[in-house]
Amino acid sequence: MTLVHNWHLGRTMEYPYFESRPEHQFAAVFNINRCIACQTCTMAHKSTWTYSKGQEYMWWNNVETKPYGGYPQHWDHKILQLLWDNGNNPMEWYTSAEDKDETKAPYGLYNGDTIFELAKTKGLNQVAVGYIPDDKEWRFPNIYEDTAASEKTNYETGPAAESSELPEHKRWFFYLQRICNHCTYPACLAACPRKAIYKRKEDGIVLIDQKRCRGYRKCVEQCPYKKPMYRGETRMSEKCIGCYPRVEGKDPITKGRRMEARCMAACVGKIRLNGLLTGDYKKPDPKNPMDWLIHIHKVALPLYPQFGTEPNIYYIPPRWAPRSYLRQMFGPGVDEALDKYAAPSRTLMAVLQLFRTTQTMLSKFEIEDGEKIYESEIMGKKVEVYNDTVIGFASDGTEMVRVKVEEPTWESDEKRMITY
Amino acid sequence: MMKCLLRKSVYFGSTLVVMFFLCSGVTFSQGLDKEISMEENIPTEEGLTVKYIASDLNGADLALGQAEPYTVNLQMQDLSFPNGGGSVLEVAIRGFHNGETIFFGIKWSDASKNDRAIAHAQFRDAVGLMFPLETVKVISPEKPFSPRMGDRGKAVNIWHWKADWEKELHVAGGKEHMEDEYPNMFTDFDFSPDPIHFHKEAFDSADLMAGGIAAGSLLSLPRGRSVEDLNAVGFGTLTSQENQDVNGKGSWNNGKWDVVIYRPLSTSDENDVQFVPGMSTFFNMAVWNGKEGDRNGQKSVSIRWRPLKIETVK
Ligand code: SF4
Ligand code: SF4
Repeated sequence: MTLVHNWHLGRTMEYPYFESRPEHQFAAVFNINRCIACQTCTMAHKSTWTYSKGQEYMWWNNVETKPYGGYPQHWDHKILQLLWDNGNNPMEWYTSAEDKDETKAPYGLYNGDTIFELAKTKGLNQVAVGYIPDDKEWRFPNIYEDTAASEKTNYETGPAAESSELPEHKRWFFYLQRICNHCTYPACLAACPRKAIYKRKEDGIVLIDQKRCRGYRKCVEQCPYKKPMYRGETRMSEKCIGCYPRVEGKDPITKGRRMEARCMAACVGKIRLNGLLTGDYKKPDPKNPMDWLIHIHKVALPLYPQFGTEPNIYYIPPRWAPRSYLRQMFGPGVDEALDKYAAPSRTLMAVLQLFRTTQTMLSKFEIEDGEKIYESEIMGKKVEVYNDTVIGFASDGTEMVRVKVEEPTWESDEKRMITY
Repeated sequence: MMKCLLRKSVYFGSTLVVMFFLCSGVTFSQGLDKEISMEENIPTEEGLTVKYIASDLNGADLALGQAEPYTVNLQMQDLSFPNGGGSVLEVAIRGFHNGETIFFGIKWSDASKNDRAIAHAQFRDAVGLMFPLETVKVISPEKPFSPRMGDRGKAVNIWHWKADWEKELHVAGGKEHMEDEYPNMFTDFDFSPDPIHFHKEAFDSADLMAGGIAAGSLLSLPRGRSVEDLNAVGFGTLTSQENQDVNGKGSWNNGKWDVVIYRPLSTSDENDVQFVPGMSTFFNMAVWNGKEGDRNGQKSVSIRWRPLKIETVK
């Protein structure tokens, strides 16, 4: 094992290979607050990559209902339980000012074991703790759909407001959108005894070489997010490929420019923005929407950072869910992220408008000031909304999109208001 | 607070470790593999003699019956991650050749027959024979040659018999499919009386949409044999050959696998071990027990080379 820096954990950690970050990192921001679980992303994925024999059960993209749902069933409960190790690994965080560092430890310091460290602590015969889900667990991409968790039963519940008042709803659920995280320290890659899995230097996409794979299912076993899947028909494993031909700009529609993955581009709820992070996390580009949302504004957070793989799909947490649950899922950055999202800054308001305005990956944004259009108070905080214009640029500098904060509306001509 | 200090010391410690390595000139090893022990470079005294018997495949079982069995003791593989195996303690091997073809008869006990690898947690039974690719006269601590998977510059030739490949030799089309493991896989939405026809598009797209098939992997395609011919130069380097020329047959009865693996004594492939009557070399073995989840390094292995003698033609 070597020591590598994991900025999600705010410390170095053990990993079988050296720290070798890509030049750019495939990443996405999913705004959980907006998802309607229409599963358009799931079907976009399915109809692109896994409609064939042996892939019937495969959902490289799936949207599940938390807290009860999961695909494969109970994946996160099971990994958390393994990591908890009968209480020997309480997964604590230290979050005082001295434990934090703007770029190297923005959320504080994780003091527990990661999946890699626990495997070593316990002297396991493998790189990371994990398990292979059985056939039954792979059956449902969204089991327990819309099933809410509640402290009280239907009979005990008081006024409806009690279940639906912020900051925390007493009765709640939310959708979690999941794809492979194209981790900086992939557990799948570390687990493969054949080095059949590689992380691309140019965009950080993690792939299984189908010439090298021999179907050992070590990746299936040790990826904590359960995103590599075994294809019985070919006797080897497959996983999300980040739509790499699109990311490379091979699709003629974007004229050679990098294009967002299919599940991202298809999103009806406009929750997804897909792009590339600057390779050096210590030097985020304040004009890159990904860098800005994740590294600078810190409104989007990694999924289960304590696993230790430095996952690269980032989430704006749902406002209404219990904070303790969210902290377990997204780490200690949750409170700051939610405060920022609930009462958005002028820049955040503008950047959020970029979501789903183009299929071309945006690598730069600019904001032109507009007039103030709204003022209010949210949770005791003053919020002012300005009708700014945000402009998104592709990596070659071409302006791809220009949108205003206030959505334009048109009133139909009175003559057209026919009543019967 | 103590624990907190501990983690922070890891943070600073890493810099020290790096400095130590830079100063000491030691190169980093990225693997997790331990060094093999001294003992492992000493081959066993006893070995296998491949007798000359003028017989062919049809008479192989009879001929093997006349050959002396040699027992290879096996143990858990604990050198290279992932470790595992150890459920099969010994394997018996016999050998004969007829001047053209070399035959190995291999028997071991395995209470469960695992001859399919289609479901998620389904693993095959298998047995592997390994030879140094080039003829090696001496293996010793002074002249080391890893008995595990060979080494850089010291290639090995591996013959890997697989229970599922054996079974697939005898099924129509030479390969089992999803529907063999999941006969009811279509019933959820079986509108058509002929599900195969109804799902024809998905069926036909399999070739197009399967990385394994597109990559030409023998695992994914009908291959018409039950033994894979491979090379390796150390852990994690196992590679299937372009020219496959090893064959085998096997059957499972009353808790025992009985496998015959055979190949012409000499081939024209430079990646193949070549056998000449009268010569001596070494061999080693491993067995996989599918029931125990054995695959890759999770196997029961012999950790020492065994002498192999090929009798002259009489
Ligand atoms: S999410 Fe899993 S499959 Fe994807 S890169 Fe990370 S460890 Fe590998
Ligand atoms: S397409 Fe968008 S809104 Fe619909 S389920 Fe997927 S992430 Fe949610």
